[in-house]
Amino acid sequence: MGEPPPLVALDDVSVVFRTRSGLFRSSALRAVDGVSLAVTRGETLALVGESGSGKTTLGRVSLRLVAATWGRVSFDGRDVTDVAEEQLGWLRRRAQIVFQDPFSSLNPYMRVAELVGEPLLIDGVRSRQERLERVHRALEAVDLVPAARAAAKYPTAMSGGQRQRVGIARALVRDPEYIVADEPVSMIDASSRIDILDLLRGLQLRRGVAFLYITHDIASARHFADRIAVMHRGAVVELGDAGAVIDRPVHPYTRALIAAVPEPDPANRHRRRAVGGADGADGDFRVVEGCPHGPLPGGRRPVLLDMPGDPGHFVACHVMSAAGATAPG
Amino acid sequence: MALLEVDDLHLHYAAGDRVVRAVDGVSFVIAGKGEAVGVVGESGSGKSSLANAVMRLLPKGVARFDGSIRLNGRDLTTLSDEAYRREIRWRRIAMVFQGALNVLNPVIRVGDQIAEPLLLDDRVEKRAARARVEGLLERVGLSAAFYGRYPHELSGGQKQRVVIATALVHDPDLLILDEPTSALDVSVQAQIMNLLKDLKEDPGISMLFITHDIGLASDLCDTIAVAYAGEHVEYGPADRVLLEPRHPYTQRLLASLPRLHGAERPRAMPGEPPDATALPLGCRFHPRCPYRFDACDRHPPALPIAADGHARCWLNDREVAGERFETHLPALAVRGG
Repeated sequence: MGEPPPLVALDDVSVVFRTRSGLFRSSALRAVDGVSLAVTRGETLALVGESGSGKTTLGRVSLRLVAATWGRVSFDGRDVTDVAEEQLGWLRRRAQIVFQDPFSSLNPYMRVAELVGEPLLIDGVRSRQERLERVHRALEAVDLVPAARAAAKYPTAMSGGQRQRVGIARALVRDPEYIVADEPVSMIDASSRIDILDLLRGLQLRRGVAFLYITHDIASARHFADRIAVMHRGAVVELGDAGAVIDRPVHPYTRALIAAVPEPDPANRHRRRAVGGADGADGDFRVVEGCPHGPLPGGRRPVLLDMPGDPGHFVACHVMSAAGATAPG
Repeated sequence: MALLEVDDLHLHYAAGDRVVRAVDGVSFVIAGKGEAVGVVGESGSGKSSLANAVMRLLPKGVARFDGSIRLNGRDLTTLSDEAYRREIRWRRIAMVFQGALNVLNPVIRVGDQIAEPLLLDDRVEKRAARARVEGLLERVGLSAAFYGRYPHELSGGQKQRVVIATALVHDPDLLILDEPTSALDVSVQAQIMNLLKDLKEDPGISMLFITHDIGLASDLCDTIAVAYAGEHVEYGPADRVLLEPRHPYTQRLLASLPRLHGAERPRAMPGEPPDATALPLGCRFHPRCPYRFDACDRHPPALPIAADGHARCWLNDREVAGERFETHLPALAVRGG
């Protein structure tokens, strides 16, 4: 059976940043460490992790906004790893990003019509009428109606949820096939979050847009993504269908992440949460030290392996690989 | 006599020729040692203003500040600013501010920062102050060795522990926490919540916990108040509020949360919170309420007081709600357990 190529494919991608430390020295920070991941056309893949896990960098690598230090990146079967930026116009149209902060990512001196229409100017859509029509269509697609009224507004006159809709309309106006949504609701009030996530889910289901949904909120990933990839320290440690990852987590880090979620459940109240690692003095916990399975043999990194009896559920854990998990075919 | 009794508190701000009713007739009680009351609300609901009102840290442009705040029976509203500063703020009531990770001075050792009020205000001898601070550092899950560290050497969770130690330096009765974990990752957040649970038990610190996350309030608090447009629309024992909410806003807020387990999809809440300078007549939630009826846009709901709390919603008034009392009110209950 000949499968079509994934829309976005990352093959053993690493990203190393040079950071200055002191006056003369520099050190290397490996933000993404050997990640292979594919986003299928029309799916939502959630990339879940905490700050510093590399999830934002990975999202940007998939858009070629950040260059991969090693590994290959391809879009719709075309390798874009080393293509010059001037040759990437087609990718810039077909792949988009929605930023986390709807307060700082929209120029307060531009009206919504200009903000959403700007990408079309860059694309060389000369006709004012056509631009206006496409802006209105994009605003309607994100439920900012009546579009003409929304288009005349400045973002400062809008709520956080409405501003994020403007950010989404700006991404949609070029009819992309792939959108990286980087923490799209973390700065929005709880009651408006679901609206935005429902909107993104609707765009996925109705228009077939594929999403990389980057989030620290694993509970939201369960309801708004098809698959979940859990990132920790630059690597994907668990990957699978959203339900499988949350109902049958295998990696100790995934388990700790799920246990740390405060759910408003009376049965669950006042419980001390197991957060792995040393509680207290060391503050942040790191699963390598905190892993109940002990240290990694020889310092080798575990690779993602398919769980026996649970196809499509991958885990990077030495203990699991010893238990008979197999590498993906 | 309750530790803290807040009764009909109002804090309004002047905004040009309009008035923002940030806190508008709020009442609650923190009965005693080790009890935590959570105030849950979205931005603009007045929850931070409530904390500032209790701490009497008022911004310029206050148009109205009244009601009563009693601490161990003593009315704080009649105290002069000077007496409040000398006797109450930080000594009896301390606070951890939102975004407090950035309040630490980067060039002073954290131990010295915690010790400062002891040395300056209480003229405690240096050695005694150091011993006390080292004890506090251990109390918040750090070690005495942290005394000599600088803020840049600490992780976010460790900084938050230092900030909490700073608030505990005078051994207060009440600790106000305004979104104490909003800048932290979930695993670190869980650690700080564990610490707060410990402090509730021993030494039995009472807390007013301000948050937008009803999950966190549920985790820590005995009582939950749900703030909406300056009012506490629902108030009661946490279990009751979570399982049998009596206000449609509480119900919709709970229904909008994505749950980890269970297939039930979170449901969006319709509409947006009202403009604080132009509140709707009658019930402030009525424009967004799926259960509204003719009483709702005319009169603000009366407050039927019950042993297990109250809700500012006409559905709770049997005479006004009629048969809706039997049909709609039980429908508000969320899935059990």
